[in-house]
Amino acid sequence: MSTNQVNEYRRRFMAGLGLVTGATLASNFVLRSTEAAELVSRPDNEPASSAKRWGMLIDVNRLTEGGAAMVEACKKEHGWGNDPQSSAEQQPQWMRVVKVTDKTTQHSFQLPVMCQHCANPPCVDVCPTGASMKRADGIVYVNKHICIGCRYCMMACPYKARSFVHEPLKDQKVHSPRGMGTVESCNMCVHRIDKGQLPACVEAAPEAVIFGDLNDPESRISQAMKALGGKQIRADLGLNTGVRYLNI
Amino acid sequence: MFSTLRSILWAVACVWVLVGCEAGPPPTNLAPAKEKAAQCVEPTQDIRKNHMAYLMKHRDETVLDGIRTPQHSLAECINCHVAPTRADGSPVHYEDQDHFCATCHTYAGVKLDCFQCHADRPEVTNQPNYQHKIGSSESYHFTNQVSKAASLSAQDVKTLTNEVVQ
Repeated sequence: MSTNQVNEYRRRFMAGLGLVTGATLASNFVLRSTEAAELVSRPDNEPASSAKRWGMLIDVNRLTEGGAAMVEACKKEHGWGNDPQSSAEQQPQWMRVVKVTDKTTQHSFQLPVMCQHCANPPCVDVCPTGASMKRADGIVYVNKHICIGCRYCMMACPYKARSFVHEPLKDQKVHSPRGMGTVESCNMCVHRIDKGQLPACVEAAPEAVIFGDLNDPESRISQAMKALGGKQIRADLGLNTGVRYLNI
Repeated sequence: MFSTLRSILWAVACVWVLVGCEAGPPPTNLAPAKEKAAQCVEPTQDIRKNHMAYLMKHRDETVLDGIRTPQHSLAECINCHVAPTRADGSPVHYEDQDHFCATCHTYAGVKLDCFQCHADRPEVTNQPNYQHKIGSSESYHFTNQVSKAASLSAQDVKTLTNEVVQ
């Protein structure tokens, strides 16, 4: 092996090291600076605009227990998960922690899964009444006023993100109405977004999650996705999800 | 003889039914903060007749477009009109006769669907704006109708603030 070749290898190795270090630093920089500063509360008489598309980027490596704290924050915010008469299988589940294991290597990791806020949502396609809807700013949820509880959307969702309320409820949260006979799912804390606040789960894991506007190339989330990527679950379905993951 | 008696009985029965119709709606159970406010978000007669239309329009604007103005919001109705508990601390729900909405809806025989999903009483623990805390920047009555709200006496203010600050 000639000296030239060795130098060539060294250069490549060092360049590779530099790239890795750079990426790690960028990841630190981008993820650490998650704040609500970007979010501006819209005037309350103004409709949501399609100029924005809300999304979130979740770094699985930075979560503890796969984001159990995020799930707890969601339960607390919306008051689900403890319906007194429902069995464990019937309990609504807006968000859950999923453990994935590669059978050949036994490598496993956990990730929080909720409504992925698809750009082309199958749940909206199948809804017979138009109750399952996507708002102008890309948030997918159920208009419970016209939901008839047929549960087609639950079957259509590839992420198992929707649940059905099986029993009459009392003392719901003021900002999150829930009732028997309707389907429900993560609504990205739409009431908080409208006020210019972060969703409850993002607030519970500020180190691991970036929330922001996917349509704005200058937003922190767009910059982070440009630098680090952001995988979709079941990207093969071509749904263009608003929730993206790192390190899965 | 029999026919006279029958007609008298018939007349008595009619009067009996009509007397039943005379009774007006029972007085509504107003929450303390509401009793002090001079006017609702619309003139009283208008809101009595058309509250359901206002609510229906507002609900569609809110759910479909995200418009969240407080004026015709159901949450604000409840916030102002319903006390979360009775004097003895028991919760007030919409099936109970003394819930603000139920007082009139029971009389009119109109079913209430809102509260199968929506909260039927204000949440006090996580709600800093419960019954429009005085000086709150979020309240409707105290920001849009300051002159009317200012009619509170010093004693009223003391009572209200004592009740709100826990």
